[in-house]
Amino acid sequence: MTLGQLTPTSVEQAAAASAAAEAVPADPRRQRIPPGPAFGIVFLAVLVLLAVLADVLPFVREATDKVVVDDTTMTRYRLGPGTTALFGTDALGTDVFAKCLYGARTTLLVGVGATAIGLAFGGALGLLAGYLRGLVDRAVGILVDGMLAMPGIVLAIVMIVKLDVIKEDFGFLGWLTRRWQITITLGILATAPLARIVRAQTMSLREREFVLAARSIGATTRRVLGREILPNLAPTMITVSCTGLGILIAAEAALAFLGLSVEVPTPTWGKLIDQNRNNLDVGWWATIFPCVLLFLTVLSFNLVGDWLAKRFDIKRAAI
Amino acid sequence: MRSYVLQRLAQFLIVFLAVTFGVMVLLRLGLDAPGDPARSMLGGFASQDLIDATNARYHLTSNYFVQYFHWLKGLLVDQDLGYSASNSMAVSTMIGRRIVTTLLLGFYAIGSGLLLAVPLAVAQAYRRDRWFDKSSSFVTFIFVSVPSIVIAVFLKWLFVDTFSLFPRIADKVYPWQDPWEHAVNFALPTLTLALPAAAVFSRLLRGELVLTLQSDFIGLARAKGMSPRRILWRHALRNSAFTCLTSVGVQLGVVLGGAIIAETFFDLDGMGLLLITAVLTNDLFTVQSITALLVITVVVANLAIDLLYSAIDPRVRLASALQ
Amino acid sequence: MNAEPMLVVDGLRTHFRTPRGVVRAVDGVDLRVERGQSVGIVGESGSGKTVLSRSVMGILTGPEVVRTGSVRFEGVELVGRPVKQLRQLWGRELAMVFQDPMGSLNPLMRIGDQVAEPLRVHLGMGAATAAAGAVRLLTDVRIPHPEQRLRQYPHELSGGMRQRVMIAIALACGPKVLFADEPTTALDVTVQAQILELIGEQRRERNMAVVLVTHDLGVVARHTDHIVVMYAGQVVEQAPTPTLFASMRHRYTEALMRSIPALDAPSHSRLQAIPGRPPDLVNPPAGCRFAPRCAHASDRCLVEPPPLLDAGEPGHRFACWHPVELTAGLRGRGTP
Repeated sequence: MTLGQLTPTSVEQAAAASAAAEAVPADPRRQRIPPGPAFGIVFLAVLVLLAVLADVLPFVREATDKVVVDDTTMTRYRLGPGTTALFGTDALGTDVFAKCLYGARTTLLVGVGATAIGLAFGGALGLLAGYLRGLVDRAVGILVDGMLAMPGIVLAIVMIVKLDVIKEDFGFLGWLTRRWQITITLGILATAPLARIVRAQTMSLREREFVLAARSIGATTRRVLGREILPNLAPTMITVSCTGLGILIAAEAALAFLGLSVEVPTPTWGKLIDQNRNNLDVGWWATIFPCVLLFLTVLSFNLVGDWLAKRFDIKRAAI
Repeated sequence: MRSYVLQRLAQFLIVFLAVTFGVMVLLRLGLDAPGDPARSMLGGFASQDLIDATNARYHLTSNYFVQYFHWLKGLLVDQDLGYSASNSMAVSTMIGRRIVTTLLLGFYAIGSGLLLAVPLAVAQAYRRDRWFDKSSSFVTFIFVSVPSIVIAVFLKWLFVDTFSLFPRIADKVYPWQDPWEHAVNFALPTLTLALPAAAVFSRLLRGELVLTLQSDFIGLARAKGMSPRRILWRHALRNSAFTCLTSVGVQLGVVLGGAIIAETFFDLDGMGLLLITAVLTNDLFTVQSITALLVITVVVANLAIDLLYSAIDPRVRLASALQ
Repeated sequence: MNAEPMLVVDGLRTHFRTPRGVVRAVDGVDLRVERGQSVGIVGESGSGKTVLSRSVMGILTGPEVVRTGSVRFEGVELVGRPVKQLRQLWGRELAMVFQDPMGSLNPLMRIGDQVAEPLRVHLGMGAATAAAGAVRLLTDVRIPHPEQRLRQYPHELSGGMRQRVMIAIALACGPKVLFADEPTTALDVTVQAQILELIGEQRRERNMAVVLVTHDLGVVARHTDHIVVMYAGQVVEQAPTPTLFASMRHRYTEALMRSIPALDAPSHSRLQAIPGRPPDLVNPPAGCRFAPRCAHASDRCLVEPPPLLDAGEPGHRFACWHPVELTAGLRGRGTP
């Protein structure tokens, strides 16, 4: 018995075996969601709702509409946050709130897209590396290590610029707008860490009994991967995606800030922040509100991801 | 032990070669027509002679492997990192000035991150689950989630615009030129990078400390009559340092990436700012060189941490010796 | 001739405040340890024996720990003393050896440093002197090639050797009392005997008192002068070792003795386990705490806690309403 274990609990457990049976651990499904993740879920739900319905909602102007009060266009941050314009107006007189909402769309789409790409490629690489081991593992290892050795931002910048150049050279890549360039780049960047995680998980799952059982009855590799391993990777992938979404959204904002944002008329939070950051003294609202939204979104994804991780851990421990 | 070091060095080499080669290829993509690299480097108005000369000098018309070989040779042997047409000077000169800035920034950020994190983690672990622990854990969670631009914006808003404590544009001042000015210029960028790093470090350290403090050997140290301070430094912290140490390696990469943003935001003239401009102006050699330097830094740092690991934990040493 | 024994424990109670209630782990224990004497504290898990040893030393921490009663070491009261002062005694006059040597040694610190630590901190020795001292200590505990061991790490040693190192650490400053908390439970049987021999040897050489806490009657039988039997946080019987084994009185002690399988019992004899389980220390039974499991319990036992009374022979006390009947030779002596 260690000193640290010599807590009242251990003593009473040792001595109170005949005491009333301990409460059975609550079914995770019926557990209440703690305030952090609850806030995260609510916030994200509201955000997505507003972003999706932005066109339809009456109180949301178009992103490019200028706010006019008494025949004067509210340029140069004339209007602070208030009833006319919820988050005030920016240098051009457009409604910051509207821009934030439409920006949310782009941001979220880019984030989800990038995560999906990352999951697809990273997942595939990790799966193959973890399951097949040997040369495949080594090769993937070098690839992943290499990608992780670079600060992501640098790679991202280089890739986006290059994609631009490639687009000019190859006609069929006309659809490769900035938005897609960013999405693909971020997706590729997300591959490395995801591949690592999936690889580690696969390696441990590989040795579990149900996999060995499947192999022993002659299941092909493809079948084992698809029916035994993949479903068990799902919880981890979901959790990682959640946190990853937060990271990718922050990355998109960073890229926008560096000047590599989406095509001109479309707003994103990063763009808003970059455009207005030098005018904090004149119109702080144009920068701060997108900042706050960005922060809350990333925070929400982190809170939910964290909570999912704990929940899935309990369930898995119960297996 | 020696074989372990050699192994890691070999790994480092492979990664370095792979990444720098990959970046070089990436940069050259889309510039396949002969003479194109030189042309896009030198700009539209360069004369054909100049283009030919540049092509010849840097072997820009040969295949990738030859180019890479020459670039590598230039890097290691001749110390010739190439020429930046847009800036009309040798890349090495350009980088030389700015490398100090960025490296200092990175060093300050990680250093202050650790300085903040260790006392915090210790205080949390020793007051586990009490009010202080819970509230500060909440705060660290926030800082782990905050994107760096948001921190930068708030810091700027707070200190520059509202209180005018820090200048808007930071002149590049070396610490030996004017320490106060230097500190003032670097304060906000450092803080931007240090706060999230500190949050990460403190969360990891607290977790491990809490576990370590429950160990038997801590109990024995206490029963030996050792003072709490000695127990903390000699036994608890030493044994809890590992995840934090690994994290330093990871955070270095993050911080160097973040340095780009911090430098741009606070107008600090370092490699980050240079990199952005270089990519946007197709300044191949600059980008290549900076990339190479960044990779070297990150990988060397991680290698050093690995070695530190085996120095501290004898079990790692034995395990690797047995391999 | 000292009037008072070196270590005197009077009415020691150690309670833990928990969400479930107050756990009365040690509930009124008296103990006397003379200089150079070996006292065994025997009991099953949950009897409070480990809490007792740590509580006597005073190393339990936390706001949930409530310690009342008296512990006097060389006339000085320890209960209520600030930890800072107690630390002067720990590792110096009062030393402890723990059960699990692997976990109790710092895995990242060399053996030499760990053994030398008390020498450097308590006795102010310099590095070289402490190292020499460490070698001497390692030799005392019969570790071969002590100079080489100094630079080794715990995981490079076997379990038995690690335990010897722990003993060396405990002996470093020449303590007056050594608390050995299940020192052999984690070891192989063959090593167990060696370690116990070692402890005994050191005790004699240094005239050091040893408090041996264990659940193993075999251990106390040969290595102690005096035995204290604990159950549910209380002392139920105590006697000089030969006396206890020859004429135990408490029913629990009897049950313990009988539960040891005998080599000469006919084959396939049933093991005589004690039925039931130890009581809940938050709400211990009103009367004798062993009564619910005792074959000889009466109604009185369930209601009235029996007092600890002399048994007639010197040093022998027990607390039982219906003790074991004495054999013919001793009949008539020792009435409850």
